[in-house]
Amino acid sequence: MHRVLLADDDVELTEMLAEYLGQEGFEVDAAHDGKAALQKALENHYELIVLDVMMPELNGFDVLRQLRTQSQVPVLMLTARGEDVDSIVGLEIGADDYLAKPCNPRVLVAHMRAILRRSEPVTGNTAATADVLTIGDLELQRGARRVLLDHQAVTMTSTEYRVLEVLLEEAGHVVSKQDMSMRALGRELNLYDRSLDMHVSNLRKKLGPLADGEERIKTIRGVGYQYTHLNSRQESGG
Amino acid sequence: MADVKSLFWKIFVSFWLALILFAGLSLWATSHYLENIREETSRSQPRNNTIQYIRQARVLAEGADTKKLQRWLTQLDKREAIPYLLIDRHGHDYLNRQVPFYLQQRVRRMEHKYEDEHEDDDDDEYRNRRPHHRPIMINGQRYRLMPDFRSITLHRVLSRPRAIATPILLAALISGFICLLLARYLTAPIGRLRQATQKLAEGDLTQRVSPSMGKRKDEIVELANDFDYMAEQLQALVGSHKQLLRDASHELRSPLARLQVALGLARQRGDESTTQELDRIEREAERLNELIGQLLTLARLEASTTEIELNTIELSTLLEQIVDDAAFEARATNRDVKITQTMPVTVQGNNVLISSALENVVRNAIRYTAEETMVEVLLKDDNDNPGWIIIKVRDHGPGIPEQMLESIFEPFVRVGEARDRQRGGYGLGLAIAKRAISLHGGKMTAVNEDDGLSILICLPFRH
Repeated sequence: MHRVLLADDDVELTEMLAEYLGQEGFEVDAAHDGKAALQKALENHYELIVLDVMMPELNGFDVLRQLRTQSQVPVLMLTARGEDVDSIVGLEIGADDYLAKPCNPRVLVAHMRAILRRSEPVTGNTAATADVLTIGDLELQRGARRVLLDHQAVTMTSTEYRVLEVLLEEAGHVVSKQDMSMRALGRELNLYDRSLDMHVSNLRKKLGPLADGEERIKTIRGVGYQYTHLNSRQESGG
Repeated sequence: MADVKSLFWKIFVSFWLALILFAGLSLWATSHYLENIREETSRSQPRNNTIQYIRQARVLAEGADTKKLQRWLTQLDKREAIPYLLIDRHGHDYLNRQVPFYLQQRVRRMEHKYEDEHEDDDDDEYRNRRPHHRPIMINGQRYRLMPDFRSITLHRVLSRPRAIATPILLAALISGFICLLLARYLTAPIGRLRQATQKLAEGDLTQRVSPSMGKRKDEIVELANDFDYMAEQLQALVGSHKQLLRDASHELRSPLARLQVALGLARQRGDESTTQELDRIEREAERLNELIGQLLTLARLEASTTEIELNTIELSTLLEQIVDDAAFEARATNRDVKITQTMPVTVQGNNVLISSALENVVRNAIRYTAEETMVEVLLKDDNDNPGWIIIKVRDHGPGIPEQMLESIFEPFVRVGEARDRQRGGYGLGLAIAKRAISLHGGKMTAVNEDDGLSILICLPFRH
C-alpha cells in the first residue's frame, strides 16, 4: 500500500477519490485546506502528496513552497484547467509533476504511479549500473539517492534526481526530450509540456555552472539536453 | 446655449466678428481713400499723381500720336477711381466724355488767366512754378488734364479695386486667419473623437477622449464625455459578460471532477452490463471537459492584453511536431496531413499559444477534409509583406459560404448545424487560434479554394 496525502478543498470529491484510490492500492489521507495539508505533510511520512492549487487558508503553491524548505517528498500538483501558467509555477517551486483538473481518475493514478516509480530506489541489476556515478565535481549515489556537489549534499526532488540520473548516465551525449520524458517522468511527452524544461531549469539553479564557468546542462534546441562532460568537450573542442 | 463657452456661441461670435471686421475694414479703407481725395481738392496743390499724369500726357501729346494718347487716356480711366478728363478750350473732352459744368467753367477761367498771364509773365519762371497750369498742346489746340473729383462714386472706387487693394487684402488675410483658427479649433477634437470611435469599433474598449480635451467647455467636450461614458458602459457590459462565461466555466469544473471520479468508481465495481453506457458517459465527460478548457482558454486570452511570455520558436520544427501528431489521428479516419513546403524560420512568441493555435487549425482542417484526401500545410515568406511569414493550411472539404469567411473566427459559429456536431467541432478552436495569433501581432484569414478551404496565418518575424 502506498500512503498518500490528498489535499483538496472539495470534500465530496476527496471522499470519492479516496475510495477510488483505495481500490487501486493507495492508502489515502485527506486534508481540506492548505494549513491542514502542510501540517499533515510535515508530521507524517507520505510517499506522495496530491496537492490542489485552489485551497482556502493557504493555497497549493504556498503549501509546496513551505514544504520544500523541509521535505523533498514527491508532490503532484492539481492545477485548474485553463490556467496553464499554474503548471509552470508549480514545477518551478518544486512539484514533481502536474495534472489539469478535472481529470480522468485513471490518468491521475497513472501519473501517481509514474512518480512513485521514480522515487523507488533502483533494485536489481546493480551489477550493470555502478552504485556511484561520478562525473567531474558531481557524485550521484544511487543506493542512497543522494547527490553530492563538491562533497556537499544537494537536496532535490525525486523527479529532479531522476532527470539528473538520466543526464549523467548519458553524460556527453544528447538525450532527446521524448527519451528523457519516458525514462525520467515515465510517460510520453505532451506537445505543450514544459515539465522537463522546468525540472532542468531547477537542476541548473541548484547545481550552478561548471567550475570553469561553462554551462552544466545544455539545451540543444529542438532536440534535447546534454550534460557537459570532459569527453564531449574534448570532442567538440577537437 | 446659455453657456458663453458653448460651441454655438463660439461659432456665432467668431463668424460675426470676422464678418464685421471685414466689412468694417473695407468700408474704412474706401472712406479713407475718398477722404484723402476730398482733402486734396480743398488744397491748392494737386496730388502728385495728377502732376505725373499731366507730364505723361504732355510727352504723349508732343509725340503727336493721337491713337497712343487715346489709349493712354482710356487706360487711365480704367485704373484711376477719379475720372481724368482732357478738356479743350471750349470745354470738350478729348474722348468725348461728358464734362461737368463746374470743370467747363474752371477751364474757361484758366483760359482767361492764361491769356492774361501769358503776356505779362516770364515764360520760364511760370513754367517752373506751376507746370500743371500750362496747357497741353495737341495739334495746336490747348488742352488741360483735369481730375473730376466730384464724379467719384463708390461704384467707381469698388470697380477699380487697385485703388484700395492693400487694405482690402489685409482685411481678407486677417479674417481668413481668424476663420482658419476657428476651423482648426472646431475640427481637431472631432478628429480625436473619430480616431477613438474607430479604435472602439476595432474592439479596444479602453479608449477615452476626455483627458485629451484640455480646458475646453463646449458641446464637443460634452460629446467626448458622453463617448467616454458609453465606452465605460460597453466595457463593463462586455466585461461582465466575459466574467459570467469565465465564472460559469470555473464552476462547472467541480461537478465535472466529481462526475469523473464517480464514473471511475462505477467502473471499479466491474459490472459488465453497463460498460457500454459508462464508456459513453466517459466520452461525453471528456468532451465537456475539453469544452470547458477551451472556454477558459479563450476567456483568458481575451482578458490578457500584452503580457505574454515570449520564447524563440523554430516554426518549421514546431509545425513538423504538430503535423506528425495530427497525421497519426488523421490516418485513423482515412485522411492525411503533410507539410508540402517549409523553410527554417524563428519567431518570437509564446510557445504554448502558437502551438495551440497551429494545432487547432490543423485539426480543424483534418476534420473537414474529405476522406481519401490530404490536408496540405505550407510555411513560406509572405511576398506581399516583407518581414512576415505565412502558414497556409489547406483542406479538401466542402469549404464555407463566402459570407461566413470572417465569422468562422467568432466563438460558437457553425457553418452547418448537424454536420458540424457530427464532426465533433465546438466552434471554439478557430476563435482561440485567432486570438492567440493576434496577441502576437499576427493576422488570420480564411479563403475558399476550388475544392476546400485555406486558413492563412500571417506572423511577423524578427531575425
